[in-house]
Order: sequence, then structure tokens, then C-alpha cells
Amino acid sequence: MPIKARVAIPISMSITDLTTTKKPDLALRLKILAKIGEQKPYNCFQCIRCTSGCPSMKMLELKPHEIVNLARLGFIEELITSGIVWTCATCLKCKERCPQAVAPVDLIFALRNLAVEKEAKVPESFLHSLSAILETGFIQKPQNTVTRKLEKVNREKLGLPVFCETDEKFKAAFFKVLEQSQEE
Amino acid sequence: MKAAVYWGCVIPTIQYGYEMSIRAVMPRLGIELVDLDNVSCCGTPVQSVNMFAALYLAARNLAIAEKTGLSDLLLPCNGCYLSISQAKHFLSHDEKLKEEINSSLKEENLRYEGSIKIWHTINLLHDFVKEEKVREAMRHPLKGLKLAVHYGCHILRPSTHDTVDDAENPRKMDELIEWLGAKTTAYPEKLDCCGYMLLLSHPDAAFTFTGLKLKAVQDWGADALVVSCPSCQMMFDMRQKSAAATIGAKLSIPALYYTQLLGIAMGIETEKLGLHLNRSPIDELLRKAGLTSTTASP
Repeated sequence: MPIKARVAIPISMSITDLTTTKKPDLALRLKILAKIGEQKPYNCFQCIRCTSGCPSMKMLELKPHEIVNLARLGFIEELITSGIVWTCATCLKCKERCPQAVAPVDLIFALRNLAVEKEAKVPESFLHSLSAILETGFIQKPQNTVTRKLEKVNREKLGLPVFCETDEKFKAAFFKVLEQSQEE
Repeated sequence: MKAAVYWGCVIPTIQYGYEMSIRAVMPRLGIELVDLDNVSCCGTPVQSVNMFAALYLAARNLAIAEKTGLSDLLLPCNGCYLSISQAKHFLSHDEKLKEEINSSLKEENLRYEGSIKIWHTINLLHDFVKEEKVREAMRHPLKGLKLAVHYGCHILRPSTHDTVDDAENPRKMDELIEWLGAKTTAYPEKLDCCGYMLLLSHPDAAFTFTGLKLKAVQDWGADALVVSCPSCQMMFDMRQKSAAATIGAKLSIPALYYTQLLGIAMGIETEKLGLHLNRSPIDELLRKAGLTSTTASP
């Protein structure tokens, strides 16, 4: 069975090399497909329109069409441990331009979510943002800054109203949401 | 129009120039802004970690905005606009998901209905305020300026959602600039991404995106880059030096918000528009527009 899968991968690439020694994981594939709604990767016919317009392709060798192909073959574990899903700049051009309405970017987000769930390779700063939101409601508090003439200013000095705080009830509610969605 | 305004994280914590210029120009154009209490992050930073939690955050802010009884909500940040328009899209197409989200919102006695209309700064000015009023408010036409426009990805795509302008050939910001007497330049890199969303995982790549776009704008001879997104502006303005160092080029291109440009044309003092906070060479642009940097009164 894995041999068949190996033959079906049409293009050679670094991430494919990862998969040559592995078996596709069909249960994980179903899990990912359930997360992305109607935009099923089966519809992809590998026209590569997504990759040809992908800004991260030039810089970081992200190839959305290969992600779609690997996902439909069931190489989910390999995708989430390779770190490739974190090279997407979320410009959404792939979703806009896909003639088959596949939306590679939505698949990439689903894979990132799964990487977090499985405690695979996740850039730490993404988790920092989450804990900041849990703590304060926002990714950061108002920062001090300087003018072009290097004069120190803040919201008050600039005549801006007091920054709205998120109340305590939010933290409990948001924590519950995070717990619930992990259970599902 | 009386509209609720949701500022998000980036604008009220560091991109003060956008907030100041919006607060300065909108009331003069007949838009009364109502700040929201107890709002939180829009969900965009959480999308990569947990999509359900991101939808919850977006819906929570919408529910708070709906509670005001107002029928319009201004979202000046592109990231917030995407997260919130996406939540609106998903929840209006999935009754079960909407109920799930609403049962979580119940913890805080909130309920999301989907009744409020969302606007971004650009379509609010272009489609609601419209040409006549913008021209009327102008005191100082920006004749002779040639400007490059950067829309930011998240208000343009995906066009299956309620987006602000055409996904492949946006024109609204160009027209808004033309109404002020300036010209915009059509350049091939117009839709290129600023790189901000890679800053967390691949900063060098992010600054390369920023640098290459700024280099293109500079090479096409634009007097400035006009931006409508706080994250993009952070890259093009605040981090211009890092971008220049990353691509090994000399970059010296003024970057400013459309609302700051509009404020200049309306004759509002530059300090009230937060223009003294921009790090890029704004003074050069003001000189070209025939203004000094302290006051823009004609």
C-alpha cells in the first residue's frame, strides 16, 4: 500500500523525501478533511496555479499544490513535523485563484492547528500570542514609542483616549473555549 | 453616520498614527465614531493555533458591537477585517457552528446575530462618504504627487467573503487618492505581500518581502507609499531600515496611511494626524506637497 502512494506523488521535492519511508495515515487524513469544510483537496488537479503565485514559494520554497497533494495522500504527520506549514504568509492568493476552490491556505491553517494539538514543531511566538490574549485580551498592551525627533510619547501624551481593557470574565470564558475545542 | 469602531490590537497599542488620523478625519466627513468597551483580540493571531477559538474571538467582538444597537461597524485594521468578515461568512453558512459559538458566548451573556454591517476605512470613505464629500472637505489639493498604493492582502481576498475591493485589480484607494488631486502609479508589485505574517516564524523572509516591495516602489519613482493596514505600515514604515539592511539596498521612501494623506489634504495639522510618529522620511513628502511638517494649514 505505501508503495502505491509513493508512485502517486508526481513531483520530487525535499518534503516528498520525508514521505518515502513512511506510510500514509488515513485516520489523520480524515481528521484534517473534517477541519476544512467543503474545500476538499480531492478536487485539486495539480495545475500549480497556487504555487506559481505564492510569495513564499520564491523565498521559502513553499509549494501549496504539494501540500494539497500530500494531504490527500494522507502524509499528515510528515507535513506537520516538517515545519513547512509555517512558511505561509497568508496572502490568500492561492485561495482566490484556485480554479477548483480547494483553498490551500485553509488546509495550511488546519495543519497548523493539528501541529499545535499534537505538540509538533510550532514556532514558539505563536503560542506566546495566545497566552498574552488569555492574560490581557490582546496580543500586547499599549507600547511607549518615539517621534521622528526621538521624543518619548504614549497614548496619553498623544491625546488618545484610555485603552479599553478586557474584563476578568473574558479570561475564564476564553479558557473554557480553548479546553472545549481540544476535547473535540 | 454613527458607527461603532473596533480598533484591534496593533492600532491602539503601537500604530497610533492610524488611530489619530482616523479620529481626526472621520468626524469632519460626517462619521461619528463610537468606541467599544470590553472588546478583545479579533482572532487573527489565534487562527494558526486554534481556528475555533479564532472564530469565537471574532464573534465575541461582533456580539459586543451589536449590543450597541448601531448598524455599522468600522474595522480599520486589515487583519481584523479578515478575521471578522470570515467569521461572519462561516457563521451565516453554518447554523450548527453559530449555535456552538453562541453557547460559548453565553458565559458572558453575549449573543452573535450577524446583523451589523462591517466596513473598512477604504470602502467606508469610497462607497459611503463618496467623492463629492471628500472633494468638498479638501483644503489643500495634492497636485503633482505621484503615489504608490498598497492595499494589504486581507481586505481583498478571498472574494467569496465580503471584501473591500476587487481581488486582482483593486481601484478604490487609487480613486480616493485621485480625488485629492494626486496621481497613483500602476506598478507590477502592487499586490505583493508586505511579509508581516511571516515575522513570527521567518523574520528574514518577512523583511525581504518588505524590502523588495519598497525597492520596487522607489525604483518606479513614487513619492510615497500609501497604506491602509497597520501591520503592513509597521513593516513599510517602522521597519523600513531592517528591510533595507536585509535586502542590502538603500531605501528612503515615505510610507503613510491613507487617512494621514487625506488629513493633509483637508488641512489638518500634521501632529494631529500622528505624522510625527512615522519613521520613514515623511518631511520630504510634505515638502513636495508644498507643506511644512508642523502645520498643514493652507
